[in-house]
Amino acid sequence: MSAQAAEVAKCYLDNSWICGRYWSDYRPELTDATVQHLWITVVSVLVGLVAAVPLALLARRNPTVESLVVGGTTIIYTIPSLALFSLLLPFTGLSPTTVIIGLALYSLTILVRNVLAGLRAVPDEVVEAARGMGYSRVRLLTRVELPLALPIIMAGLRVAAVSTVALATIGAIVSYGGLGNLLLQAVGNQFKAQIFAASLLCILLAIALDLVLVGAQRLLTPWTRHAR
Amino acid sequence: MRIHRLIATAAVTALMLATAACGGDSLESSGADTGSGDTGGGDKGTVVVGGQDFTESQVLAAIYQKVLENEGFTVQTKLVTTRDVYLPELSSGGVDIVPDYLAGITDYLNTEKNGPDAPLVSSNDVDKTLEALKPLAEAKGISILPPSDATDQNAFFVTQDFADQNSLTTLSDLAALGDPIKLGAPPDCEGRADCEGGLTKVYGLKITEIVPLDFASAQVKDAVKKGDVTMGETGTTDGTLAADGLVLLEDDKGIQPAQNLTPAVNADFLKANPDLEDIFNQLSAALTTDDLAQMNLKVDAERQKPEDVAQQFLQDKGLL
Repeated sequence: MSAQAAEVAKCYLDNSWICGRYWSDYRPELTDATVQHLWITVVSVLVGLVAAVPLALLARRNPTVESLVVGGTTIIYTIPSLALFSLLLPFTGLSPTTVIIGLALYSLTILVRNVLAGLRAVPDEVVEAARGMGYSRVRLLTRVELPLALPIIMAGLRVAAVSTVALATIGAIVSYGGLGNLLLQAVGNQFKAQIFAASLLCILLAIALDLVLVGAQRLLTPWTRHAR
Repeated sequence: MRIHRLIATAAVTALMLATAACGGDSLESSGADTGSGDTGGGDKGTVVVGGQDFTESQVLAAIYQKVLENEGFTVQTKLVTTRDVYLPELSSGGVDIVPDYLAGITDYLNTEKNGPDAPLVSSNDVDKTLEALKPLAEAKGISILPPSDATDQNAFFVTQDFADQNSLTTLSDLAALGDPIKLGAPPDCEGRADCEGGLTKVYGLKITEIVPLDFASAQVKDAVKKGDVTMGETGTTDGTLAADGLVLLEDDKGIQPAQNLTPAVNADFLKANPDLEDIFNQLSAALTTDDLAQMNLKVDAERQKPEDVAQQFLQDKGLL
């Protein structure tokens, strides 16, 4: 027992914020949590995006539908996450689905507004010209409107992705919170090295996702680079 | 230009699919919180161990996980924040087994059935509490296995020096001393039957002041060591007391409800695996309050992983 105690790293006993031993001892836990955090975030935002595009298309033609969709998604955003997960729990149980549905619903608020704003920003004369060239509605949407709306949609995706990285930690209440699981446990027993590491990884994950999206946007919309 | 965009779209899609696929993988093999890298490839099917995510519950869930893996099950551990998240799941079969606390689960089910103002059916008496719990649990499709002697109750401590000078081992001894007592405890202590209320009415302690200090906190221990308060409140499985020169006084008149460690199992799961009852009875018989205190200390102070502490415990007890 005492021989074992002698091996305990000093930064554990001192409960230091920065502890090199923590990063090596807990590498598997940190990796698993980061991977879980990343995929839950990515899937949630993708599900949100897939739902946001049709909602925005419905909303843009009809003001009544627009106020319903924009108002509805905003109201969802005001539901506290604890309450939302509790509402979903009887249906989806302790599963990633519970977290993903919740996060996707929250991302809708940002994504619907941005898809709508992006589509509205397409100049009327461009749409007229495409129609004049005989574009069908589907072709008009996929070839003209969505590409031109892309910068504003991508701006929304960036905000949604970064905010979802932060929100995903709440998934810990149903045991699927990625880095949030580690954070919650560490807050419980004042494990400062773990609080620091999990928080840092959360921030790095948000920055990395944002950079990927910026890079994707630059590749997808090369014309915007020359415009400025 | 167009090819450029095509490549970018493909790259982003591939990246997202890759992360999603990657996630699917980790989901299959993950024990989510306690990390089950060594999941045995059992053929008895998958078991979900539930629980809360504070230290003691993490360690116990890891012990349950290893015991079940040893029996050939594939185990997933899902630790959540509160009892009201896992209990409905235990009822419906989303969670199969939980290391729970006798009075804790009894009070929860009693409140759920009879409302928040219902009289408590838990007490200091293990058998009576168990008797009250069983029908409540059965109605919810939960089977309760025999409780362990190991218990995590609220408890009161003084300095070892003070105890030695006055030869105190129990709260009754302290009451017999007749000194005025300053108590360090959370603000809701006043009037509670398991705190100030019980201490004054059942033991006859003369409590002159309750200094608001958090349960089991470093602050309450410092206050007792410095003599700012005579006595502080912590749990029976607090492993740090001895090292700080502090000692628990025994609750000899039983004002604390029985919080013995009790396996709570989904009834259908237990019916399908009746041999698990013996295995968990052996485990409960081997587990002591001191074991809990020592294991908590290893996780909270030495920062050992709950699964390593669990493994060591099971090996020491010859249970693997």
